[in-house]
Amino acid sequence: MVLPAAVFTAALFLLPVGILLSEGFKVGGEWTLAGYADFFSKPLNRTVFFRTLKLGLLVALVSAIVGYASAFCIVNLEPKQRGRIFGLVILPLMISPVARTYAWIVILGRTGIVNDAIVGLGLSDTPIRFLFTETAVFLGLLQLFMPLMIISLISSMENLPKDVIPAARVLGASWLQVFTRVILPLTREGLVLGGTLVFTGALTAYITPAILGGSKVLMLETLLYQKVNVSNDFVSAGIIATILIVMCFGANVVLRRIAKA
Amino acid sequence: MGKTWASRLIIFTTLLFLIGPFFIIIFAGLSAGSSLSFPPQGLSLKWYLAVFEVESFRQSFTLSMFLAVCGTLCALIIGVPAAYAICRYKIPGAETIKLIVAAPIIVPGIIVGLALLRYLVVPLNFTVTLALFLAHTALVLPYAVRVVSASLENLRTDIEEAAVLLGCTRLQAFSKVVLPNIRSGILAAFILGFVTSFNQVPVSLFLSGPGVRTLPIDMLDYMEITYDPSVAALSALLAFLSMGIVFIAEKTLGFSRYV
Repeated sequence: MVLPAAVFTAALFLLPVGILLSEGFKVGGEWTLAGYADFFSKPLNRTVFFRTLKLGLLVALVSAIVGYASAFCIVNLEPKQRGRIFGLVILPLMISPVARTYAWIVILGRTGIVNDAIVGLGLSDTPIRFLFTETAVFLGLLQLFMPLMIISLISSMENLPKDVIPAARVLGASWLQVFTRVILPLTREGLVLGGTLVFTGALTAYITPAILGGSKVLMLETLLYQKVNVSNDFVSAGIIATILIVMCFGANVVLRRIAKA
Repeated sequence: MGKTWASRLIIFTTLLFLIGPFFIIIFAGLSAGSSLSFPPQGLSLKWYLAVFEVESFRQSFTLSMFLAVCGTLCALIIGVPAAYAICRYKIPGAETIKLIVAAPIIVPGIIVGLALLRYLVVPLNFTVTLALFLAHTALVLPYAVRVVSASLENLRTDIEEAAVLLGCTRLQAFSKVVLPNIRSGILAAFILGFVTSFNQVPVSLFLSGPGVRTLPIDMLDYMEITYDPSVAALSALLAFLSMGIVFIAEKTLGFSRYV
C-alpha cells in the first residue's frame, strides 16, 4: 500500500534531483571537484553564498527575539483571546507569498509610504532607494517566516508549567535570569524547530529575493535561476542545489543536536 | 496594569508587521489612479473588476485551480493507503519510506522543478500541463500522508477489528469504518494541500511553458512589465479566497490542529 506513494516520489523526486546534484561533480564528462573550486573562486558566487547564509541567520535570530516576546504575551492571554490572536498569526501563512511580498513594493517603493513620509517630512529631498537592497529582502523574509517561529514557541510555552516563572521570581531571579535559566531551557525544542523552519525557509525562498532583491541582491535561489536561464550553466546549478540541500540538512542536524545537548 | 499594556503593545506591533502589509494591498488595489501608490489616489473598484478582464489571468487561474484540486485529490488517492499502512502495520523500513515520502518538503522547490524539467519532462517529452500536474501531486503528497496519519493515530484499531469479526472484509472495514472516521483529517489534508499547491511558485517556475503558467507565476511576470494596481487587487482577492477557505475549515473542522 505504501508502494505507489514511495515509487511515485522516488521516480519523480529522488531520481531527477539526484542526477541534478551529480552534475555539480562533473566537468566535461569527468568526475571531479573542479567545478566547486571554480564556483567558489568567483567573487560574485562567494558574495551570494555568504549573503544567503547571513540573511538566513539574521532572519532566524530576529524572529526568535520577536517570537519570544510575542509568544510569551500571547500565551498569557485568556484562552478565548489567545485563540483569536493565534488565528491572526497563522493567517499570513495561508496568503500567497507573491501577495505578501508585493505589499513591500507598495511600502518601500519610490512612491511608497516610507518614501512619501521621508520626503513629506523633509528628511530627504529625493526618495531613498529601499527596493533592491538587503534591507528589503530581510524585511520580506522576516515577515514571511516569523509566524512559523511564533507558532513553534507558543506550542512549547503552553507546555511550560504555570508556576515555574513565579517560583524563580520568588527565589530572587531577575527577569534576564528567568529567561536564560528557566524559559530558554524549557522551550528549547520549540526554538530549535522554529529556528530550523525559519532558517531553511529563508535560504530556499525564491519569490522574496526575486521581487525585493532583483539582480542587485542575488541570493542562492535567484542565482540558480540566473545560472540556468541566462547562462545555461548546469554545473553551477548542480553545485548551488547541493549547497542548498546540504545547508538545509546541516541546519536540521546541528540544531537537533543542540536541542538534545 | 502597566504589564498588560506592555504585552498588548508587543502583540499589536507584531501583528501590525505580519498583517499590516496585507491591508495596504487591499487599499492600494482600491485606487482610482493608474499607478501603484498608497494612500490610493481616490477610491474605485475598477482594478478589482479589471482583474477579471485580463485573459492571461483567467487562463492561469483555471490552470492553478485544476492543479490544486486534481493534484491534491491524486495525492490523497496514493497518500491515504500509504498513511494507513505506515500507521497500522509494522512494515520493515517504515522510517525510510516516511523519509522518502517527506522528501519533497525538504528539498527546495526550485531544485525539484529544475530537476524534473531537465531529466524527466524534456527526455520523455511530457506536456507542460502533465509535468505541472505530477510536480504538484508530489509536492502535496507529504502533507496528505502526514495529516491523514495524524488522524489515523487517534483512531482506535479495535473498532476495525470488530467490523471484521462481524463479517466485513478488510476493504469493507476500511471503507465503512475507517474512512468515515478520518473524514475530517482527509478534508483538512485536502485544504492544506489545495492552499499549498495554489500558492506554490518555485516548483512551477521552470516547469511553466509558453502560454501555460500557474497564476502566481503569471502575476510575477505581469508585475515586471506593468506598475498598475491590478496585481494588488488580484493579490487581495486571492488572499480573501484563502482566508475564506481557512475560516470555514477552522469553524467546521478545527483546522489548526492539523497544520
